Amino acid sequence: MDLIHGSDLKRMLQAAAQYLTNEKERVNALNVFPVPDGDTGTNMALTISAAVKELDDLETDACGKIASAVARGSLMGARGNSGVILSQFFRGFSEGLKGVNAASGPDIARALDLASQTTYRAVMKPVEGTMLTVGKAAAAKAGEIAENSSSAETVWVAALDQAKRTLADTPQMMAVLREAGVVDAGGDGLVCILQGALQGLRNEVVVEQASAPAQVVSPAHKEEGITRIAGLLVNHYCTEFLIKGSALNIETIKETLVPEGDSMLVVGDEELVKIHIHTDHPGKVLEYAGSLGELTDIKIDNMKMQNEGITNHAPPEPLGDPKPLGMVAVVPGSGLKDIFTSLGVDVVVTGGQTMNPSTEELVAAVERVHAENVIILPNNKNVIFSAQQVKELSDKGIGVVPTRSVPQGIAAVMKLNPEAQLAENVAEMEVGMRQVKTGEITYAVRATKAGDLEIEEEDIIGLVEGKIVTAGGSVTDVTLSILQTMVDDEASVISLYTGDNQDFSEAEQFAELVTNTFPDCEVELYHGGQPLYYFIVSVE
Amino acid sequence: MARIHVVTDSGSDLPKDVRERFGISVVPLTIQFGDDIYRDGVDMQVDEFYERLRTGDTLPSTCQPSPADFVKVYESIAEAGDTIISVHLSSKLSGTYQSSVLAASMLPDIDIVSIDTLSASMGIGLAAIAAAEAVKQEKPKDEVIAVTERAVEQLGVYFMVDTLEFLKRNGRIGRASALMGTLLNIKPILTLQDGVVTPFEKARGKAKALKRISEAIAQYSEEHTGKKLRFGITHAAALDDAEKIAAEIKEQFPVHDIVIGPIGPTIGVHVGPGTLAVLFYPVQ
Repeated sequence: MDLIHGSDLKRMLQAAAQYLTNEKERVNALNVFPVPDGDTGTNMALTISAAVKELDDLETDACGKIASAVARGSLMGARGNSGVILSQFFRGFSEGLKGVNAASGPDIARALDLASQTTYRAVMKPVEGTMLTVGKAAAAKAGEIAENSSSAETVWVAALDQAKRTLADTPQMMAVLREAGVVDAGGDGLVCILQGALQGLRNEVVVEQASAPAQVVSPAHKEEGITRIAGLLVNHYCTEFLIKGSALNIETIKETLVPEGDSMLVVGDEELVKIHIHTDHPGKVLEYAGSLGELTDIKIDNMKMQNEGITNHAPPEPLGDPKPLGMVAVVPGSGLKDIFTSLGVDVVVTGGQTMNPSTEELVAAVERVHAENVIILPNNKNVIFSAQQVKELSDKGIGVVPTRSVPQGIAAVMKLNPEAQLAENVAEMEVGMRQVKTGEITYAVRATKAGDLEIEEEDIIGLVEGKIVTAGGSVTDVTLSILQTMVDDEASVISLYTGDNQDFSEAEQFAELVTNTFPDCEVELYHGGQPLYYFIVSVE
Repeated sequence: MARIHVVTDSGSDLPKDVRERFGISVVPLTIQFGDDIYRDGVDMQVDEFYERLRTGDTLPSTCQPSPADFVKVYESIAEAGDTIISVHLSSKLSGTYQSSVLAASMLPDIDIVSIDTLSASMGIGLAAIAAAEAVKQEKPKDEVIAVTERAVEQLGVYFMVDTLEFLKRNGRIGRASALMGTLLNIKPILTLQDGVVTPFEKARGKAKALKRISEAIAQYSEEHTGKKLRFGITHAAALDDAEKIAAEIKEQFPVHDIVIGPIGPTIGVHVGPGTLAVLFYPVQ
């Protein structure tokens, strides 16, 4: 195919979104950290899915206009660092196709080149061996081929092949990948997009499949799932719930529910199954599932209304009395939400570890705050980037304090001075967030090596400032061990925030043990309610 | 010859020996536990008060002295033609100053100068000491007033409470109400601004709060280089903390002298047990 027409490009993008969505769990599993919040695949899939949604009502056949709509959509839907980079990729791509009705090989090469350049500009310190490198190599190859071929398909195929080769080389470029024995997840996501797009171009249908998680260590922990899927919203109730029972048969459940809707995800084991489905008949689905066991955690959202709410830009209701300065925080658990609210945060966006909020969700949260200036506390390294995007999308004065953990967020909030200006507060909060050390305790989703540390699958692992420092068999031992490394002569307060599956009275006993181990510190225990992490701890 | 006397109220938390040394008279506020009424430092002493606060189920309140209470004290110490410098609790927190002004208008033969310290606890106490010291040095009335007013103006006040509940319950929480209701165990560090309780900072844990107070004093001390500071440290059943910070202050700052004392019932009702306050001003 020599020229890519608007209808082709639409099909390519939709197929790319579907392809990546199908592959996202595999991409998630490529996380170099064996922690259970590997979400690069999910973030990229949700970002591109949000982007292609822009195509639903788009009445144009011009490639340039289509690309620009997708770029805009991806910016709003960007989740996590990889999602933000992907949105920049689309932004560059659309600039390359500006004014183009039907794209030739050289047009595609130029678009890929600008896409790659834009991704490099978007990150402060570009690292090779990542999605950036894969995109750059693909663009370079495309440029080379386009010199001798005007066929868009030929150029695309060459770019894809090069992207795959470069992806395979990423472990050679980055030691962490080599150690973990994986290729770069973001790079893989980009290859999936190029691959899916090629299938779309060739009119090969990318079938929607429930992407089976690489492993479901603890289904109750797994919050993520497909929540937004490309395409028209035929089935408009997003229905999610858990079935608790015995001898549950996942295959039978899948077969029974397939006719009821789409975007279906059925995961779990014989005793606990999580179901996600978009259906027009949530009642029927629940009726059937209820015959198999006990239903819990039922959530039904009307996606059509949500969609209209977003597209109509219904003005959000501002909260409370107007004030000069407000705060938005991203927080992973119900207990932590209460804590941040009690500290004066106006809007809490749930997310972080399992699900990074999109830029759009952060913009919506900022708009709800009844203040002209808003400080955002991302509380997760993977949310900082999307939070910074809000500056471009909101009319309000936005300050982002780059908090990488919940304890950093709390330490930052403590510094709020409602009478001071935005910039002054951001500066003070940045000082405050550095006065606390963060530890996290979770489990390994696969065997790996971290430095000298041999880690088995399902080992309990302890991280300090995001780095794995210890692994072991029990939460208690690992927590005490990382506290030993965190507590020094200056330490005066140890805070423990329990995860959603932690028994609080057991945690109280543990807190007593911590008090006895560190007699010079005050020890405080709070219900955090975060998923996946048994404890988040802080020392200050 | 006409003399100058110094009077304060029981909100000044001046220990008895200090009062006697400087010749300062005290007008007590009254403490009410239900129907039982006590005069601070007269019918009820500090230890007894905290014991009752801890074990009793009625929450106490305070009541300012009446103008008649002031008249009684003023008349007992001064003769016609004498001057009284009457140094009192922040008018934003109590009607005590108002009562002293009314009493003064009832005694035209005595020259009574009421001073609103816009402070509390040893903040009042330090101002009273400054006045009494000037009197001892036989300074003329105008100069005694000037010395006292300068001390009031330059007073530094930082205090931390165990809980904001007491301030809130008694309606003295002022601008610190924004700190209410936090789920975390936060030690609020407070100050007085224009006589009203105002948040200075929040700290997690006592150790950090004490450190922040030290840092605040260091900044103050830098702004007043070359001057020795007179400190008042008061505590509500927290003598250990008071002695700890006193030792640190002696080590770190140019100290003129330090007066340590318990927070009496008048202030204790409003701040609750565990409170620690550090007050200071540069001695000229």
